[in-house]
Amino acid sequence: MTTFVEEKPTQELEAFKGVKKVPHEEYYTSGHRTCQGCESAQIMKLMAKAAGPRTIVLGATGCMYVANTSYYSTPWGVPWMHTQLGSAGSSALGAAAALRVQMRKGVMKDEPINVIAFCGDGGGADMGLNAISATLTHPDYNLLILLYDNESYGNTDIQISGTSPWGVNTSFSTPGKVKRIMHHRWKKNVAALMVAGHPTCKYVGTISTSYPLQAMNNIRKALSIGGPTFIHCLNPCPKGWDFDPVLSFQLGELAVDTGLWPLYEVENGKLKLYGKTEKIANGKFKRLPVREYLLKQGRFAHFEEEDIQFFQSKVDEMWEKWLIPGVIPLQKDVNDNPPAL
Amino acid sequence: MGKLFAVEIIYRGVFQKTLAKNITRGVVLAAHNQGKLGLSFGRYGDSPERNGIPAKSFAIVADDEQTLEEGMAQYEPKRVDVTVVLDDTLCKGVESWAWYGLQPVHRALKPGHTLIVVSLQDAPTLLKSIHHRETPYKLGVLKGATSFSGMWVYKDDHTDVRVLGAIAKALPELVGLTAIKQFVTEKLKNPLKGTSAQLAFDRFHSIEVKPGEGNPEELPKFELLKWEDMRDGVSIKGQPQGGPYKDPITKQVGGFRPARNELFKKGSTRTQRPVVNFATCTKCTLCWLNCPDASFDVTPEGTYDTNFESCCGCGICEDVCPVKDCITMVNEAQFHDNKSQWEAFKKDQDAYLKWLEKTIKEAEPEEKRSHGFRYRGQYKEQVPEALEAAQRA
Repeated sequence: MTTFVEEKPTQELEAFKGVKKVPHEEYYTSGHRTCQGCESAQIMKLMAKAAGPRTIVLGATGCMYVANTSYYSTPWGVPWMHTQLGSAGSSALGAAAALRVQMRKGVMKDEPINVIAFCGDGGGADMGLNAISATLTHPDYNLLILLYDNESYGNTDIQISGTSPWGVNTSFSTPGKVKRIMHHRWKKNVAALMVAGHPTCKYVGTISTSYPLQAMNNIRKALSIGGPTFIHCLNPCPKGWDFDPVLSFQLGELAVDTGLWPLYEVENGKLKLYGKTEKIANGKFKRLPVREYLLKQGRFAHFEEEDIQFFQSKVDEMWEKWLIPGVIPLQKDVNDNPPAL
Repeated sequence: MGKLFAVEIIYRGVFQKTLAKNITRGVVLAAHNQGKLGLSFGRYGDSPERNGIPAKSFAIVADDEQTLEEGMAQYEPKRVDVTVVLDDTLCKGVESWAWYGLQPVHRALKPGHTLIVVSLQDAPTLLKSIHHRETPYKLGVLKGATSFSGMWVYKDDHTDVRVLGAIAKALPELVGLTAIKQFVTEKLKNPLKGTSAQLAFDRFHSIEVKPGEGNPEELPKFELLKWEDMRDGVSIKGQPQGGPYKDPITKQVGGFRPARNELFKKGSTRTQRPVVNFATCTKCTLCWLNCPDASFDVTPEGTYDTNFESCCGCGICEDVCPVKDCITMVNEAQFHDNKSQWEAFKKDQDAYLKWLEKTIKEAEPEEKRSHGFRYRGQYKEQVPEALEAAQRA
């Protein structure tokens, strides 16, 4: 049966079997102007390590563009190019298509090359959403779009993005004396949006830098499976979330343990929850109260008891009322009572 | 033409952003009480700030409007009358967003003028870090713990008004104590802060630093490329791949040392550094794997040695290390070089382990360095402690 899709082989990247088997080589090395304890830089390091040397990386505007190319210097050890804020999707598709033409014409050796475009939550969940969506419908090109999510426009000093959580303090939602909660929107559920909207996409997943081996292996799987793929990574941001950088790793874990950040992958249409998230779903681990996560961050320092309770109720809803707990927000019974302001 | 004054505050990005802004704003508003005009601003090139990366905030003050305009016509003051360093670890030199390479803290300070450092150390100790220069200046220590908070929650431990008090003592022509106390009463509306400013004023004194005195280290010079020197398409040369680590003592070759960006070294961002007990290390890889800055070299024996030119002191390695007390974060002010800890360990294990114990022990009571927001209510607990330390000093 012909599908009219011209598929090209990918690199076969097998999972690293344990932390001791992770290669020493760095393709994103020291010397970037990021914050102390920057988890977004950490996912760049892990991503480059997972993908290996035959890789091209494209980066949409954001912290990981600005902090990594200042004053004619860079920490990148693989080819990297800046692309506009909303064009992670289109640049990935364009690069993959250009590589194919170059190889067909014999300008380049015909070999599988990883194409990865990364974008922040501003570039991916807000501005670049349409280009990413369009790219995920092209089955012919092998590429990965990685969204690193610090829940704000971090590079321009912390403004609200589509993935900023409810009630958070940002430059656009400073709590006041009269009105305490200035941000009323709930975080976009980006990975599930990609799953539901792009049935031919072979791999969509969420990862966390606090589970580095798993994150690298999921990236390797996404690069090997073929066609356009999408990964959403949560990155605690010491600057914008206002916490001591030593907590970066712990907060990533807490986001998972409280049920706020579910870890899952959808491979060829099959959903698999993994890590602590799987344990939460099958009752082997009791979700921690979200309060433990919130009170460690200065961006929630204005929350009062009722705000914490409302936040908790929304997380409970994810796990108790959603048709597929933690993933797909269709539900039968809605109870949405935000606290009086 | 009247007289033009410039005040420069060097601070840790984000951690001391609000504090630095409050001080430069305070200088301008207090000077206004004496009929002067002024303006306070952050350095454009430092924005967007990053946690710990050194940044600057300025206040320029003039007797009349025309003089102020002359001062405002500059991108930033090239020569300043007072430099305030809000964190003593900055004395080792600063490398901000805005330039290439490490620069001394007194680079813009006029000869004979005062450098104010907020620190619990004394002036001779600080001079081990502050680089030598050709012209004399004065060095004054404002005794107190480093005040760190973050983007949204501010720790009001009176460091702002204490610095203002010290500035009034160091440069009375710019602003007097009466004008500062008036500003505190009228704008800050906190009488206790007036007392803090007065105390800082009374106790602040400075010593003369002679030409050539200080840290003898010669700082490397960097030249920014001109446009005609750049490569086609304004492309930047990527980093090469690293290679095996050659053990400086055993001469054994193995492990791995990554290539690192030569043009930007993040070390000057560090306010605390990891001290590693190699004897208890289980080689679990977690510090190396979870370091966002790829700061660890893998030794031929499979342990992990911190590269202090690139380590920015976030503390994640201490947090993820599963062995108790194997990695300890210690106040950076304790150290005066960036030498390899693994080399010292291999040279003499017993001596290294003794040094390790002593270093960690000495660091504890001196100052448990606060590094931003850890839990709600933390600053409220810390403020009385900080005020008490300042009273004692």
